[in-house]
Parts: sequence; C-alpha cells; structure tokens
Amino acid sequence: MNDIHLIQEIERYLDGEMSVPEREAFEALRRNDPAIDQQVTEHQQLLQEFRAHGRRKDFQRRMDAIHAKAEIPQPSASIRNLSIRRTWLNLAAAACIALLTSLATIAVMQKAAKNSSTAQYEDVRRVLNNIQRSQNALIRDIKSNNKGPSNPGTYGGTCFAISRNGYMVTNYHVVAGADSIYIQNNKGEAFKAVSVFEDVSSDLAVLRIADSTFRSAALPYSLKQQSIHSGEEVFSMGFPRDEIEYGKGYISAQTGFNGDTLKYQVSIPVRPGNSGAPLLDNNGEVIGIISGRQTSSDGIAFAVKAGHLKRLLDELPRDKFSRKDLKQKNQLTGLNRVDQLKKLEEFVYMVKVYN
Amino acid sequence: MHIERDQELLQGLAANDDKSLETIYLENFPMVARMVLQNNGSTDDARDIFQEAMIVLYEKVQEGDFILSSRLKTFLYAVCRRLWLKKLQGNSWQGPINEEVEETTAVEDTLEAHEEKDQQFKKMEASMAKIGEPCKTILEDYYIHRKNMQEIAERFGYTNAENAKNQKYKCLMRLKKLFFAQK
Repeated sequence: MNDIHLIQEIERYLDGEMSVPEREAFEALRRNDPAIDQQVTEHQQLLQEFRAHGRRKDFQRRMDAIHAKAEIPQPSASIRNLSIRRTWLNLAAAACIALLTSLATIAVMQKAAKNSSTAQYEDVRRVLNNIQRSQNALIRDIKSNNKGPSNPGTYGGTCFAISRNGYMVTNYHVVAGADSIYIQNNKGEAFKAVSVFEDVSSDLAVLRIADSTFRSAALPYSLKQQSIHSGEEVFSMGFPRDEIEYGKGYISAQTGFNGDTLKYQVSIPVRPGNSGAPLLDNNGEVIGIISGRQTSSDGIAFAVKAGHLKRLLDELPRDKFSRKDLKQKNQLTGLNRVDQLKKLEEFVYMVKVYN
Repeated sequence: MHIERDQELLQGLAANDDKSLETIYLENFPMVARMVLQNNGSTDDARDIFQEAMIVLYEKVQEGDFILSSRLKTFLYAVCRRLWLKKLQGNSWQGPINEEVEETTAVEDTLEAHEEKDQQFKKMEASMAKIGEPCKTILEDYYIHRKNMQEIAERFGYTNAENAKNQKYKCLMRLKKLFFAQK
C-alpha cells in the first residue's frame, strides 16, 4: 500500500464510503499500526481545519457583500466633544498641578538656600556679656574724661581711622541699632562716637568721634586705588578680645560669599570682634574691611573691597572730612611687619555698642 | 416572540441562508458601530469587531450546539464589547467603556473557544498562503467544493484524472507539512 493509496483509503474511511467489512479491516489495521493511526488522526484534523478555514473565508466574503448595505452611524459629535473636552480638562489639571509643584519646590528650595546662607555666613561682631546699662551710668562715664564705660558694651567690633580729625570706618552691622557707641584704642583710651553715615548695601558705616577737638597723628596708611589680585598676602589688626590681635592671610577669591562682588574672600583667621578691622597688603595700603566669615569652614573670611569705601567717603561732607588724610605718603611701605604693626595699632580701635 | 424570531434567524444562518445573514447583519451592526465609535474606535474597527463576533456566532450555530440564552442582539453586543475591550487593552488604552445597552451576557466561554479556533484558523491561513497556486485552488475544489478529479483535471489542464490526483496528493502533503510544522 503506497502513500497515495493510503491517503485515498483514509479519506474513504473518514467520509464513510467504506463497506462494513472494509471498515472493519481498516480499523483493525489502524489499531495494530500506530503510524497509520496517527496518519488518520492528522488527516482528519487537517481536513477539518481546512474546511473550517474555507467556511470562514466564504462567510467573510458573504458578510463583506452585505456590509456595503449596512447603515454606518455617524460618530456622535457630542460624545466626541465630551471626550475631547475631558482630555483638555485633564491636561489642564495636570498642568496646574505640575506648575504648583514646581513653584512650591522653588519656594522651598529658596527658603532652604536662604536658611543655609544665614547659617553659613556670620558677621564677626562680638556679643559681649553685659546686657544693659542705665543711661545714668553712661552719662557719668562720659563726664569722667577719656574713661570708657566701666561695663563692656553689648556688641563689639573694630574700626580704624580714615582721617586725623576722628572719622572712623567700621561695618554697618556692628553699629546697627546702636543707642550709643564708644571706641577704645589699645591704650585703653575711650571716646564717644556717633555714626554719621551708614551704607547697608556695602555693610559699611562711618563713625565720628564726638569730641570735635580730637586730633591724631598723620595716618600711616593710604587707601589702595587699584584692585588686588588673588594670592596676594594681606594682614589685619582687630579686637576679637580686649587686646588687639594681628592676623595674616591671603586673598583667596575675588568675590565674597555666594559670589558677592562687593567683597573679597580672604583666607585669614577671624573671630567675632574682627568686624570692621582694616585689611592691608604688604605695603601697608588698605585694601578692604573685614566683615564676616563662613561658618562651615575654618579660615574663610570676607572683606568689603576698598573701592566701596572710597565711594562712601566721596559722599561725606567735604568741609568736615578731609580726603587728603588717606592720600598721604604711605609710612608703612618697606617696614618689617613688627614696625608696621606698631604704627598701625594706634589707628585701630575697638568699637563698643550699647543698645 | 423575539426569541422565536432570533431562533429562526439562527437556523437560517446555520443553513447558510443569505437572507438570514443579511437580516442579522443589518439589524445589529449599527448598535455595535455606535459602541465602538463612542470608545475611540473607527468605522473600520467597528466592521472588524462585528464581523469577528458574527464568525463566533456562525461557527457556533454550525456546530449545532448553540443554545441562545438571551436575545441575539444582547449576545452579539456582549461579544463585541469583550472583543473591543480586549483590543483596547492590547493597545494599552485604559479606561471604562461607555455603555449604551445595559444588559450583557456571559460570553467568556464562547470567546475562549473562539480564540482556540482562531489560532487554528491563522495557522491554516499561513499554510495556505505558502502552498500557493494551483495547490490552493485544487485543494479547495476537491475538499470544499467537492468537485471530482475529472472536473479538476479539465479545469487545470491535466491530461487525465490520475495526473490530477497525483498533483492533489503532492499539494495535500505540502499543506500537511506546513500546517503541523507550526506551533
């Protein structure tokens, strides 16, 4: 029995065309030969699928013919619009939420940044132990000539002379909100002073000794006109305690805290009380005024650039403030540091503020 | 009364009566089309979905074991709804389907069986595409249209029925090989 004949027989069997004896013989063959049995099953399945396929194709053709007659409803406009409107509403809501979130984030971030700034930047004025003094005590002290108040002030800082007749410069934050200001030199002589000019933006204040007869020796230093380069060595004198202290460092950056262009960043040890101290270069020219430090790291201080001091001084009344005092020949040039400090310390004062 | 009419239509459908098919088609297609159109579908989507549901119905009534437990309209709507939902999920579209007809009927089993059949159909479709002509037509003429070998030999220009039979045998073997080779 060859294959083509077998297929014929299988088809006859499946179509029920066999006579009873033939059928019995074929079924016996099928039972005895699993290969033939499998052929029968496969053939049956194949033909079944083949015919189902044909039927479905045919049915599809018939439907396609009918489809041309079918009524196709128009897309209902209201529902479309509704869903479009809903989409837009959703989009708008999402956009609003996104906007709100961004704004909130920005607000929080800015607040955080501000907080961290105040945490990192610190004015270096000194908070003194004593809280308050009575006005009586103050008056008594003023009467006792050249003797400062027996109690230390509320805040302390440093200032230095910018003229022979008692003009001083310090930081605005040192004298802000002051009731009365006393300045005291390293010899212990105290003078009552008043703030005559304050500039919040550059954090500078000009003080004048109340005694109009005050005269000092010629200023040994001058105000440097040119800007100074990073890396240049600088030094300072100030009053972080009741004794004058010398500090040495170098300009480390051309901008101050958070890119503040009014200031230099100086690598120099500063402590509370150094605020308002002069910053000088090796030649003894004033290049800035110490104003603050970064709390998060040691030895990073900030100083207001001398250029801003000059701008401030230009606004002082010409008849009272003599500009030429700061333009005298610099007496510190060429001296060694010890001699420079000896000359300088007479013109640096401790500021005591009562409020 | 509705049920009786539906039964008659189904009998006609099973017997390949064109009039019954046309009636069922034209009466039910607009409802399904509305449902699909209202749920992000096109008129082509509606036609595909409805015709697939009709195939489900047709093959079930052909098997002879289909008992209509609800109105024909309800059955078709339920099947279309399931099919469309599935298509939407396949396109990763998530969302509720807007209902127009409240009553639906459980068609899960029907559709599961249909899915199996559909797979076999696709296998056969792919095999048929591969065997090419004249095999396709010879096999269709013989097994579906039940033409005898003499007619087939004349149509395809074989000298005698025996040659046509040999050709048909070769075609059948090729189809068999292709069909069972697919998983």
